[in-house]
Amino acid sequence: MQETIERLRAEALAAIGAAADEAALEAVRVSVLGRKGSLTGLLRGLKDLGDEARREAGAALNAAKDDLNAALTAREAQLGAGRPAASSGYDLTLPGRAPAPSGSLHPLQTVLEEICDIFHGMGFSRDDGPEVELDYYNFTALNFPDDHPARDIQDTFYINDKVLLRTQTSPVQVRMMERREPPLACVFPGRVYRNENADASHSSEFFQIEGLVVDRAVSMADLKDTVDTFVRNYFGASAPTRFRPHYFPFTEPSVEVDMQCILCGGKGCGTCKQGGWLEIMGAGMVHPNVFRAAGYPDDRYTGFAFGMGIDRIAMLKYGISDIRLLYENDLRFLNQFRGVQ
Amino acid sequence: MKISLDWLGDFVNWNDEPERLAERLTAAGLNVEGIEHVRHSFPGVVVARVLERGKHPDADRLSLCQVDDGSGAPVQVVCGAPNVRAGLTVLFARVGAQLPGDFQIKKSKIRGVESCGMICSATELELGADGAGIIELDTDVPSGTPADELYGYNDTVLEIEVTPNRPDWLSHVGVAREVAAIYGTKMSLPPTWNAVEGGENLGVKVRVENYADCGRYTAWGARQVKIGPSPRWMQNRLRAIGQRPINNVVDITNYVMFELGQPLHAFDRGQLAGNAITVRRASAGTSVRTLDGQEREVEAGTLLICDEKGPVALAGVMGLGNSEVTGNTTEVLLESAFFDPRLVRRASRRLGLLSESSYRFERGADWDMVERAAVRALHLLQEHAGAYVVRDWADRRDPDYRPAEPVKLRVWQVNRVLGVSVTVDQVAQILQRLGLKVQPMGNAEAIGPGAVNMMAHVPSHRRDLALEVDLIEEIARIHGLDQLGGRGGYRVAGGAVRRPADKARARLRGWLSACGYAEIVTSSFMEAADHDRLGLAAGDARRRTLAVVNPRHGGDTQLRTLMAPSALAVARRNLNAGVQVPVRFFQLNRVFRPGLAAGRPLRHADEALLPAELEYAQLVVAGWRETGLGGVPCDLLELRGAVEALASSLRLRLTLEPGGDESWLDAGACWRIRDGAGRQVGVAGRVTDSVLAAFDVDAPVALAEFRLDELDLEPAPVRFEPFTRFPAVKRDLSLLVPGSVPYGALHDAVTEAGGPLLESAELFDIYRGKGVADGHAAYGIRLKFRSAKGSLKGEAVDAAIARILGALKDRLGVVPRT
Ligand SMILES: [Zn+2]
Repeated sequence: MQETIERLRAEALAAIGAAADEAALEAVRVSVLGRKGSLTGLLRGLKDLGDEARREAGAALNAAKDDLNAALTAREAQLGAGRPAASSGYDLTLPGRAPAPSGSLHPLQTVLEEICDIFHGMGFSRDDGPEVELDYYNFTALNFPDDHPARDIQDTFYINDKVLLRTQTSPVQVRMMERREPPLACVFPGRVYRNENADASHSSEFFQIEGLVVDRAVSMADLKDTVDTFVRNYFGASAPTRFRPHYFPFTEPSVEVDMQCILCGGKGCGTCKQGGWLEIMGAGMVHPNVFRAAGYPDDRYTGFAFGMGIDRIAMLKYGISDIRLLYENDLRFLNQFRGVQ
Repeated sequence: MKISLDWLGDFVNWNDEPERLAERLTAAGLNVEGIEHVRHSFPGVVVARVLERGKHPDADRLSLCQVDDGSGAPVQVVCGAPNVRAGLTVLFARVGAQLPGDFQIKKSKIRGVESCGMICSATELELGADGAGIIELDTDVPSGTPADELYGYNDTVLEIEVTPNRPDWLSHVGVAREVAAIYGTKMSLPPTWNAVEGGENLGVKVRVENYADCGRYTAWGARQVKIGPSPRWMQNRLRAIGQRPINNVVDITNYVMFELGQPLHAFDRGQLAGNAITVRRASAGTSVRTLDGQEREVEAGTLLICDEKGPVALAGVMGLGNSEVTGNTTEVLLESAFFDPRLVRRASRRLGLLSESSYRFERGADWDMVERAAVRALHLLQEHAGAYVVRDWADRRDPDYRPAEPVKLRVWQVNRVLGVSVTVDQVAQILQRLGLKVQPMGNAEAIGPGAVNMMAHVPSHRRDLALEVDLIEEIARIHGLDQLGGRGGYRVAGGAVRRPADKARARLRGWLSACGYAEIVTSSFMEAADHDRLGLAAGDARRRTLAVVNPRHGGDTQLRTLMAPSALAVARRNLNAGVQVPVRFFQLNRVFRPGLAAGRPLRHADEALLPAELEYAQLVVAGWRETGLGGVPCDLLELRGAVEALASSLRLRLTLEPGGDESWLDAGACWRIRDGAGRQVGVAGRVTDSVLAAFDVDAPVALAEFRLDELDLEPAPVRFEPFTRFPAVKRDLSLLVPGSVPYGALHDAVTEAGGPLLESAELFDIYRGKGVADGHAAYGIRLKFRSAKGSLKGEAVDAAIARILGALKDRLGVVPRT
């Protein structure tokens, strides 16, 4: 009897394991545990046995039945993988319904926030200033002499003799220094204005981010390291930078910072005008006259400042060839930035 | 600024490829923006002699010539020039010759006569402006000599970007100095001439009214001048740097300016009235006729050069037509001067006259070059215009003029600012290479905060070097910026804290974009007519705008005082494009309101002139025509829901109160947005049909906007409150509500009467129609009751519902639907 039970159990387990689908599994169940099943037949035959044998065989049969039921359940779960009853008949290929359709963030704002985040990680706080600015803050305090050709670098929208639309985010430097004593490490993002006609690479309104660090002994080497850290974080580890001497009235020494072209790796392409380098920012050491305008004592502090165009970086990053696309607010443009955080 | 390497080679040797030279100049701050190879050649053009000139059988104006072009047999050619004649030496373009402008010479028939080539005029070869006749050569070279041997020119031209602080780079000699400093070689100045002839007087007295305006004025005389073309090499160089040759006198003054950086002006002495030149300011009401023939009013105070009758030049900007050098000039008065940069700049701006001269003077000329440049020009006039130079010259100079003060330099400060460790010797060497004289100071070797290591004496062409930091920049440039860094970057102690407003903005943008709104960035300008289009009342403060007074383009000049016009423009654009409906977008932008307090600490007296810059968040839903719950348009329902959910996501309290008085919002479909303190911070609603029409939008637009800068964006801290774990009891009410009862009133009545056990009341349905009395609607409201003390008994809930129904009936006439 015991042997029969054991053989039956082994055969049934093998059949359960071999069942390829739910119908085959059901056939196995019926053939073993069904009303006319082999195990059911043995159970029925128990009454013909003696007490002792009935007890032993009964225990063995029940154990085998439990095993088989467990195996059936497990196999069923395997085959069905939790599938709901087929009878519901849902068409699960229908399109889904999102809780809300997807909107997007403007690429300029995205880039601006990304850059602020990187500098935040480097210990820079964030501030802003007015877009309608005094000539004093935009030029005079930044060491642009009156009636000096340096003012021609930027075509300025004037409201009147004393008031203008800021041509750069740099005036926030002076406002910040007037308010606070060093050590300072800040970035100032924002909108700036130039009095010029729009074309594929110029817009009369665009965005800049300015950085300022002032302390007792901040050096040009610190500037280089800061720029390199930023470029590494934002553009990736393999982008070397170089400093080219330049002129800005409010910094001295002044430099323009080039980054090796990220599109061609420095070999030369259309974006870098075959030169292999992309100009990404202007920078330099804060000019003593700017410290003086801010009311800091001569010689006490040194500092560096840098400024870069957000639009240009966004265009580079996303392969946008015409700056005007950034300001047209066409959804066919904006929708492409869905999911960009 | 263009620099000819051929010309540059007169003063310095660098032994390097042009590309490498460009790199090294760029690395030193003289940014080379382009390298251009200039080739002036005339393939197929040769020297030839006219053997015979006959008449063309069919055309009076044409000649039929036989030409010896050195090839053996005479060549027959038709020529239209009036000056062609036998015996002339000419430039002849053979068949197959390639002339400027992609013009190829072919064998042709002119009025039936065969012509095998062309005798060239100066314009045809781009050798000059004279196109009236053929070139008459005065040379012995044999016929057949290629024209290239006489006129060919090869050069490489660098296009350099000169920053405003370096006027000394606006000349070939200035760039040569830089090349010499970079390559560590010597440079030489061009030859000058020493006047030895004659003993006459110049015959002109010069008077400078105020030396502050004109620090030095020199005048020189050149007589018996023969006006003609300038020498070929000079024309080639001028052309290579983009200048058009005119005549020998004008070309020489230009040439010297591009060579030495000093602008010169040549007057026709014969046209000057009297024997005195005065440098003075213009009085009010002065007008002059400039070279372009225009009569121009000159602003009082403009610096003028005058003869005894009146103005003959706008000092430093340009000469006037009344004393211009012409083909008839025989005597030249040459001016070389030093003008106040600001005066030149102002005159040039006000008159809109920009010249190579004003460009240099307003950046600052080189005092020491005044005399040298004049002498150089006289030398060239003598050689190339046959001039007889008068030995006497007029020189008026500011008696108080002082050369630049020497600049003290601490090597300690060099290392502090640059983050390097250079030695006193290295610093001294760099400065000497740049032409500065270095005078060591007492404790020359000690490096420390108080230790002045040297005094640097600055040459007159480097007046930009006035401060210690100016010298530090020079050291950085020449020492090289490649080795800087490697110390890990500056880190501010303590790190940075994010401002609550920045965090709130970021969350707001993230939330809105996740909810289907596309972020837009719109212009700060608005159209002048937008106030009228919005129907703003005549006295509306937002009609007061700031406007740009000097717009360069035809665009808008007024700074916006409202956000609505930009929203309508973006809606129109996208609805017309038909990308999707509804269109959802948002913006965080500023408006500019003159006359309102700026809302920031004012440190500068003039800051009261600045407008307040109000920052708005604006949400827009456009083009949605469906209606939702209770027949209210879906866009309005969404707008309200979005503002409330947004406020809750920022932990802000914003409430929408029906009503509003914006002219551009539909009075029956708008809200006032209030903050937690009850102050109005914004509006929401549907734009009226008439305003939509005015902005040419043909679909509904709903928008909400509120002042971000007015809100306290620092979220209130979270304090945990214990919650009850006892189950809630839910009951639905179906109410028959008269049309006159707003849901808000009903909701208030339910909440009030429900007492402390009522946790929430939620409207889930509004039904009108069959089975509901006319003028009424059936409202389905789900009530949720809960007690903190224990499971609620049915009686307690029944009592609360009875109170609610009682209150509804008494106060609003609302009864349960049966
Ligand atoms: Zn590239």
